[in-house]
Amino acid sequence: MTEVVAIDHLTKRFGKFQALKNITFTIHPGEVFGFIGPNGAGKSTTIRILLGNLKATSGQATIFGQSVWTDAVAIHKRIAYVPGDVDLWPNLTGGEIIDLLLKLSGQKHTARTDELIKKFDLDVAKKARTYSKGNRQKVALVAAFSTDAELYIFDEPTSGLDPLMEEVFQQEVLALKAAGKSILLSSHILSEVERMCDRIGIIRQGESIEVGSLASMRKLSRSTIHVQTKQPLTAIATLAAVHQFKAESNTKAEFTVDSEAVGSVMDQLSSLEIVQLQSTPPTLEDLFLRYYNKEGEADATQHV
Amino acid sequence: MPHSTFKRTGTLLKLELRHDWLKIVLWLTGLVGLMAAAAAKFGGIYGTQKEMATIATTLKTPAMVSLLGPFTAKPPYTTALIYGSEMMVFMGLFTVMMNIHLAIHATRSQEESGLTELMLARSVGRQAPLLAAMLELVIVNGLGGVLEALGLQAAQMPGATAAGNWLFGLGLAAFGLMFGSFSLLFAQLASTSRGALMLSYGFLGLVFIARMGTDVQNPDLTWWTIFGWIEKMELYTNNTWWPVLLMLAGALLGGACAVALAARRDLGAGLIAPKPGRKRASAFLRGPLSLLARVNRTSTIVWLLGLVLLGASYGSIFGTVGDLVKTNPVLGKLLGGAAVAAANRAVVLAMANKLAVIFVVVATIPAVMMILSLNRDEQKGLLTLMQAKPIGRLRLALTSAGYGLVVGSAAFIAAIWGMAAAGQQSMTITITLARFMRSFVGYWPALLVVCGLAMLLAGLLPKWQSAIWIVPVYGVVSLYMGPLIGLPKWALKLSPYGWVNKVPVAAVNWGTFGWMTALGVVLLAVGLWAYRRRDLLMN
Ligand SMILES: Nc1ncnc2c1ncn2[C@@H]1O[C@H](COP(=O)(O)OP(=O)(O)OP(=O)(O)O)[C@@H](O)[C@H]1O
Ligand SMILES: [Mg+2]
Repeated sequence: MTEVVAIDHLTKRFGKFQALKNITFTIHPGEVFGFIGPNGAGKSTTIRILLGNLKATSGQATIFGQSVWTDAVAIHKRIAYVPGDVDLWPNLTGGEIIDLLLKLSGQKHTARTDELIKKFDLDVAKKARTYSKGNRQKVALVAAFSTDAELYIFDEPTSGLDPLMEEVFQQEVLALKAAGKSILLSSHILSEVERMCDRIGIIRQGESIEVGSLASMRKLSRSTIHVQTKQPLTAIATLAAVHQFKAESNTKAEFTVDSEAVGSVMDQLSSLEIVQLQSTPPTLEDLFLRYYNKEGEADATQHV
Repeated sequence: MPHSTFKRTGTLLKLELRHDWLKIVLWLTGLVGLMAAAAAKFGGIYGTQKEMATIATTLKTPAMVSLLGPFTAKPPYTTALIYGSEMMVFMGLFTVMMNIHLAIHATRSQEESGLTELMLARSVGRQAPLLAAMLELVIVNGLGGVLEALGLQAAQMPGATAAGNWLFGLGLAAFGLMFGSFSLLFAQLASTSRGALMLSYGFLGLVFIARMGTDVQNPDLTWWTIFGWIEKMELYTNNTWWPVLLMLAGALLGGACAVALAARRDLGAGLIAPKPGRKRASAFLRGPLSLLARVNRTSTIVWLLGLVLLGASYGSIFGTVGDLVKTNPVLGKLLGGAAVAAANRAVVLAMANKLAVIFVVVATIPAVMMILSLNRDEQKGLLTLMQAKPIGRLRLALTSAGYGLVVGSAAFIAAIWGMAAAGQQSMTITITLARFMRSFVGYWPALLVVCGLAMLLAGLLPKWQSAIWIVPVYGVVSLYMGPLIGLPKWALKLSPYGWVNKVPVAAVNWGTFGWMTALGVVLLAVGLWAYRRRDLLMN
């Protein structure tokens, strides 16, 4: 089976400004793909190219094996999209807009639509002009979730939602995942990405810097260890695989360990008679900050 | 009112002037240039008493009175006198248009783009944006008035006095300011910039049509039309200054009401609150075309009704226009009954030709607005959701252009129909609707060509698309005023409206119709092609 989304060495230039330098990733069928990166990294630009709104400067981008630029209409029949900034026709009501969006995809307002309206707690009789940002986003979300599509593209869909609605959003995404749909989710809410995504792509300044599953990324990173032992911990601090060693007392400390060395460090620790031990795998946030800082440092040294 | 409501008005004013300077320069250059150029030419065209007597007879006919205002001067005429009566209403109209645009742009449009909210958060007084807009209007109009007066001084028309020149310039300034402050008021009433624009133009249309009627029937009543105040200054004869004071009072009143209303409404909202609507879309709302029709429903209806009204109000004076014997009793004796009827008929048809130019230009406005709204809506992000649907970009653009063309054409027909219907009521001679409709067939390709140019700009140079407005504005100036101010023939042919022959007096020239239609279609197609292959506009 072909990839749902395949992006290969994609670049995009706006005049003199190179917004995308090299974006490469694929989304497999039935997969939730998390797309993260700092502000201005080029996530929305990549998504707009996928939607055929912007023309790529070079490189390949296909959805369902079709070109995103020339076959946009055919592709759009099989996708649903929610942007981060939703603007709606001010003098239509939310209900009218949901129905219109469904009709434009060749679909109908169903019982499922009503259920979603209720779940997202949306007053559909109001004119869009009077909606708050979150409510405008709900309109787009209800329309997207009640569309029967093969690929769902979300670009920061929850930036205006309250925590309760954020939870509803996550449930709905997990339901789509259970139904075997493919999803591209760009988000700054890392817990959301961590909970739902099978694989993650991190981009920075228009370049893919890491693509893979969270588990495989964790392998490249460090776990945090909080430990108390009977015997002094001084020897541990000198190990090559141990970093950021902070001693609270002679026998109590917090430090990080390279993931591949966790086993050997554990052996050493047990020889020191562990009283208490807490090990936390790196969160996506740690990963993200690490990638971000690493690149930042590289930049800084270049500038010297 | 606490002092802080107007805090930082100065800063905002500077920002606005910096933002609008190009627009202001273009408008003022156009207005001042037109006045000065016409003034410089007038000495040459209307120099002798004989020439002036001839044009005075023309200006006294109801047809010209309806277009340019009453001609009340007594002989001996001077060039300046003729100039004053020909230019006053016309310049007033354009000055008002400039003010409407600046006023709405400085208030509602800024508010819609979110700029106002950003600024209010930065310790700017709540009413400061409104006050800054008012000051901007005062500055622009003041500057315009002074430049116009200086231009007239420099032109040294025979019969022109300094008092008359300054009255003309400053009178226009006060007049513009008054309508500008009315627009600020409308900006508080409406809930969108489009709505405010529609209210402003609706009001302008209403008072303009009212003044047309009263000028032809009974000029004393013109006082009630507000627009007519500009005719009452008796330029270059008595030079009456107090209509100017009246206008300034009107400006103050409008501004005060705007401030009072603004204090009572929320940012981004109007005083006319939106009501709740349907929970489900009707079966009608199903695709891009029906969406356009639904979103633009009110404005489309207003345009169509407005043009029927405009046509009808001109048609209603056909009875008077087409009664040469009444204006010139000698004529009745010289010519026989049949010859008089034929002459009357010729006069009405000639006027219908002049009117067709106005109608087609006015009908161009909604058509071009629809075409330009494609990029504007795109930039606002209104189309983001739609563009992810299985609708080609070509189809989306074609829908906008097509809808614009249909509305424009329908508005044009509506105006001619209104004119014909009201004309037939008021005339004793009969001219059929079909005869009047020659104007439609004749001028329609010009509408198409201008729409094609608009699409071309929207597709190729989206940032410059507003430049298309030069075409209709120049078209109406050159064809309406060109013959009076002695523009050369080639200058009349610079806009597509000038390529059409004198319908409905003459028969439709099918050759011209054919090549102009083909040109329009080609321009549209190239514009669509360019639109299809470029990036969408996004922020
Ligand atoms: N039409 C455009 N013209 C010029 N530059 C643009 C345009 N659109 C985007 N950019 C630039 O491209 C870069 C990438 O923008 P993009 O919106 O893709 O970032 P993003 O990763 O989505 O950021 P965020 O997390 O803030 O949404 C930014 O520096 C932006 O300023
Ligand atoms: Mg983005």
